Amino acid sequence: MTGAELTLQILQQHGVDSVFGYPGGAIMPLYDAIYDSPIKHFLCRHEQGAAFAAVGYARASKKVGVCLATSGPGATNLITGLADAMSDSVPVVAITGQVPTVAMGSDAFQEVDIIGLSLAVTKHCVQVTNVEDIPTAIEEAISIALSGRMGPVLIDIPKDIQVAETQVGGKGPMNGNGPTAVDCHHDLAIEQAKTLISQAKKPVLYVGGGVGMADAVSELREFSQLSKIPSVSTLKGLGTVAADDEYYLGMLGMHGTKAANYAVQQCDLLIAVGARFDDRVTGKLKEFASNAKVIHFDIDQAEVNKRRLVDVALLGDLKVNLPATAVTTDIAPWQQYCRRMIIDFAWQYDHPGEKIFAPALLNKLSQLMPDTTVVTTDVGQHQMWTAQHMAFAQPENFLSSGGQGAMGFGLPAAIGAQVSRPNDTVIAVSGDGSFMMNVQELATLKRYGIPVKIVLIDNARLGMVRQWQQIFFEERYSETDLSDNPDFVMLAQAFDIKGQVITTKQQVDAALKEMLAHDGPYLLQVRIDELDNVWPLVPPNAANEAMLESVK
Amino acid sequence: MQQHNLTITAKHQPVVLERLLQVTRYRGFNVVGMTMFPVSELEQLTIELSVVSDKSVDNLKNQLLKIIDIEQIKVEDQALQKFMA
Repeated sequence: MTGAELTLQILQQHGVDSVFGYPGGAIMPLYDAIYDSPIKHFLCRHEQGAAFAAVGYARASKKVGVCLATSGPGATNLITGLADAMSDSVPVVAITGQVPTVAMGSDAFQEVDIIGLSLAVTKHCVQVTNVEDIPTAIEEAISIALSGRMGPVLIDIPKDIQVAETQVGGKGPMNGNGPTAVDCHHDLAIEQAKTLISQAKKPVLYVGGGVGMADAVSELREFSQLSKIPSVSTLKGLGTVAADDEYYLGMLGMHGTKAANYAVQQCDLLIAVGARFDDRVTGKLKEFASNAKVIHFDIDQAEVNKRRLVDVALLGDLKVNLPATAVTTDIAPWQQYCRRMIIDFAWQYDHPGEKIFAPALLNKLSQLMPDTTVVTTDVGQHQMWTAQHMAFAQPENFLSSGGQGAMGFGLPAAIGAQVSRPNDTVIAVSGDGSFMMNVQELATLKRYGIPVKIVLIDNARLGMVRQWQQIFFEERYSETDLSDNPDFVMLAQAFDIKGQVITTKQQVDAALKEMLAHDGPYLLQVRIDELDNVWPLVPPNAANEAMLESVK
Repeated sequence: MQQHNLTITAKHQPVVLERLLQVTRYRGFNVVGMTMFPVSELEQLTIELSVVSDKSVDNLKNQLLKIIDIEQIKVEDQALQKFMA
């Protein structure tokens, strides 16, 4: 057996049945082995697309996502996807081909030091120097990607190692495929947390992406139902608290709801669960929940006291620590106050004129789509509108590039999600700027008949940057006018993808229904006014209660 | 700015030193001294690293401990060391 065949065998033994990639010189032996392998390979049309598809696959399925690329430019094209996986703690294994061992270090054709390049964007990386090390390298990579705080791992395999013959085999899967957690369950911290929670008069539960990744959604919901503590969510936490929970205030932060931001600013106890006090969440850090004590539940010791000093830290598995600290509370006035804010500050979808109001369209889409739908987004105004106005049944049903805010994420992530969940509807909500960043992946939809539905919110602008130019840069619209965009419906047609463009409110219902009912990929281009903005907006370096709701 | 001395035990892997220095720089620490030597028949390294920063050395330690090939870190601060001497 060759190193390439062994690589695929070990991946298969660990339950990997689909990989995303792009062939090239230094990875040709592995692609030759793929030719006979039961593992399904999905050819993306750019390595960045393959990396994002692996991220989408991993996030939608909670399994490891695998992507492949050749040496040099193939490998460097993975970097943005790995950076996204690093920031958002996504278990991805990237396998890159490398020039033969004898050529390494000689500035050979398509040689790049991908180990050096990947240091800052991977949890771990390894170069295989002996064919017999392949099983251990892959087994460790999968285990590291999925354990503790999950993240991407890169394995670089020189071409001569891929063709080398070997008799070694794999040991088979190690301890299943699920995330394992460090055990730091401290009785004292548990008691301190319970005391703080029972004494608080105005507590808020601040729910992050870590809850879904720890597979602790039901534990979080039980905690929330018992304590009846009002809750807020980060972008990555959306779908964790049930959208119809009586005391759920919505997303917090820069584009959070008024109810969520006011509640957090006024709370006397902030209970952070799998969240990391990101600057888009906190606004001006010194003024973020400045009267609150903090309890921080996390799997990563390095997140504790990183941005905010905490009163109690509970490190370890949320599935253990959440039930251990669940207590009842006596906070009726605070609950009533939060309920009042939820009602008073509810979103308004009435909107003057004939033009389409993107928040209303997305809210309608949310009502029409099945509960099991996966929604991905790109980055910008449409991303924030999706976060604000759509509801998700589970966190693995909403995939967005959070930490990196990587434009071009939406379409390839939707492809990965659809491959992992072939029976569920997958919708990519995109913008006309982001869509063009990985538009070549329309060819991947065509090649495999992947039935992703694309909702393209088109304002012929780089909308979020344009919004900031309008508000903070004296309306100097530098390089954000995209009114020379291609004809998107014709572009989709070139890939055999059906599509239509809508421009008025009365077209919305029928168009959404047609898209959802269509058997195959579909592109719905939604023209909106270029001056539509995302509100509320917390200006940079301001406290979260200083939300703008219009251009002054 | 405070100086901190870290004694780090790591697996003797090719990438570990680069990762150590990359994380140290990224998290806002300047290296002012470094000694390393192999132990236990070349399978382990001991790295003595002196860094200065106005940031929390505990945060650096926690970030460094996430490096897969780093096994143990002991931190002494310079002021304490002088007092003890």
